[in-house]
Amino acid sequence: MTESIVSVFRALIFIVIALALCGLIFSVAGYSAPDMFRAIIDGAFLRTGALQQALRWGLPLFITAAGVVISFRAGYFNIGAQGQFYIGAICAAFAADWLNGLPAFIVIPACFLAGMTGGALWAMWPGILRLRSGADEVITTLMGNFLAVIVLIYVTSGPLKDPTGSGQQASSRPLDAAYRISTSYGVSPTIIAIAVLVGIFMWLLVNRTAFGVLSGLAGRNATMVTWQGARLWNIGLASFIISGALAGLAGTVELMGPNGRLASGFLPAHGFTAILIALVANLSIVGTAIVALFFGGLASAALYLPVIAGLPSSAIDIINAAIALFITAKSNIVDRFLRNWRKRGWTT
Amino acid sequence: MDDVIIAILRSATPLVYVTLAGVIAQRSGIWHLGLEGLMIAGACATILGTVLTGSILSALLIAMVICIVASILFWFVVEKLKANQIIAGLGLTGLGLGGTTLAVESIFGSQAAVTAPTGLPRLGAMFGAYGTLSILVLLMPLFVLAVWVLLCRTRFGLRLSAAGEHPFAARSVGVNPGRMRLIALMIGGVLCALGGAELASGSLQFFSQNMTAGRGFMAFAAVIFGAGHPIGATFAALFFAIVGAIGIRAQLVFGERVPHDLLLALPYLATVFGIWLSARLRGGVKAVTGFGELRDS
Repeated sequence: MTESIVSVFRALIFIVIALALCGLIFSVAGYSAPDMFRAIIDGAFLRTGALQQALRWGLPLFITAAGVVISFRAGYFNIGAQGQFYIGAICAAFAADWLNGLPAFIVIPACFLAGMTGGALWAMWPGILRLRSGADEVITTLMGNFLAVIVLIYVTSGPLKDPTGSGQQASSRPLDAAYRISTSYGVSPTIIAIAVLVGIFMWLLVNRTAFGVLSGLAGRNATMVTWQGARLWNIGLASFIISGALAGLAGTVELMGPNGRLASGFLPAHGFTAILIALVANLSIVGTAIVALFFGGLASAALYLPVIAGLPSSAIDIINAAIALFITAKSNIVDRFLRNWRKRGWTT
Repeated sequence: MDDVIIAILRSATPLVYVTLAGVIAQRSGIWHLGLEGLMIAGACATILGTVLTGSILSALLIAMVICIVASILFWFVVEKLKANQIIAGLGLTGLGLGGTTLAVESIFGSQAAVTAPTGLPRLGAMFGAYGTLSILVLLMPLFVLAVWVLLCRTRFGLRLSAAGEHPFAARSVGVNPGRMRLIALMIGGVLCALGGAELASGSLQFFSQNMTAGRGFMAFAAVIFGAGHPIGATFAALFFAIVGAIGIRAQLVFGERVPHDLLLALPYLATVFGIWLSARLRGGVKAVTGFGELRDS
């Protein structure tokens, strides 16, 4: 237990360093750093309805981040959450388009199935390239992100194009209201239930099954796991598929919930934020749920900043990037400091 | 034929400069995924510097200084704080993408593209049809040669490789691997600034947000495809550029008969193919553990 407390403290220290770097960047760019942080905290946590907004952004992020946890724990850097998220949403949109007119209790499950399958398949090809040939999954999944953006542009300006849409941003036809699982405000019992189910299943998978134990071991020492007779191929491919399916699920939730339609280039920071959440939470599912709410708040502040406070929303991207820069740091200096501090805490 | 070669040179040159930065970092033992961020910082600083100071030379200097400072920050996080290189590199890329957007917004008040009055010096009329290319295109082979000499024919290059491949051995002969990595990343910062400058200021002289569009990651892929060798990586970068140029060419020739988006996807597909091929030929990432961790002994 103390070990996890130390890791929480370590994360907090590096997040503070990252925020200091952000403050520096804001000042150099000519903004007042205290004002910027105050506006961000206001937008994220203090304004009325902030919790609802944090949930609206945090729940899909949690679903994707839970998938990232699975693949990172197994030792695979699946950076392609964004692409898998897009492809999931696209497949769900196609399913909704083809089944349009059927009753909702058929269409909605079909969309979810399509979305999760799409995301899983988009994670599977880098997984196979990695496991069969050793092709570096960092690059292939990154390229998968760029390819998915192109597919999204193609779909929203081609097969699923909304002919009545405005010229500014290509988008698909809006979903029939009967097929939506939430209003545009974005939080509904259905979405909460999906996120809770994902949380419970992933927690059980990680902590209570052979797969969870073996994949965690494989991430730390793949050779040992192979020698103990486990199939690295099965564990690896399963972790790619699960993480892709969850990202696809999040894409489907965003499509059928708050968004209601596909728009080209929607939520471009989703995958990166999800990776960040998984890392800040130190790859634990419970931690991911808590951290996702925090980053959900930040994501909602990205919309609040330009409209209410007149500040650029790229401030949120910078905060996320700075945290990513520092979050995996495990400096001896900080560890020694924490250890001494803990010892002193016990003796006095 | 000339215009095809010009198009290839135009898209290849920025990629080659950034690839060289990646090669040097790779030799010193660092998987440099921050190339994309450094490249866009260089591109943005060149254009904004030209607009604000009016001189391309001071703009280039500003771009280099910014990229070197960012490289030192990256080095500090990876070497001193022992952060995971892949995640820290992605963080650096995010800082570059977000920071350039913020800079444009804070100076011009909007996210629209910024156009600079002057660009890099051009080759001039004596090169005929190639006269519209920038001087950095002509210097590119020289830089490749210089990096090759530096890495493969000097004592410094040997020490750099030792710092990356076997830090313990390097230390035993009095080489400080950490300092070698710092030097490698700083040289890389200069090269990324040049690559970004060529991208933004070599032909059209404008900056728009996210204009690198994954080129930094392609450069990283070229490093792997080229097995960390400067010449090999340069040819890998040329290959990606040629595929991209073929796409644009095909669009001009076939027009609407070829789907436009498929052609846009070609360079990314070529990158995946390159990574797969180099893994098949040379054996890929074998052990899962240790990837992204700095080798220290």
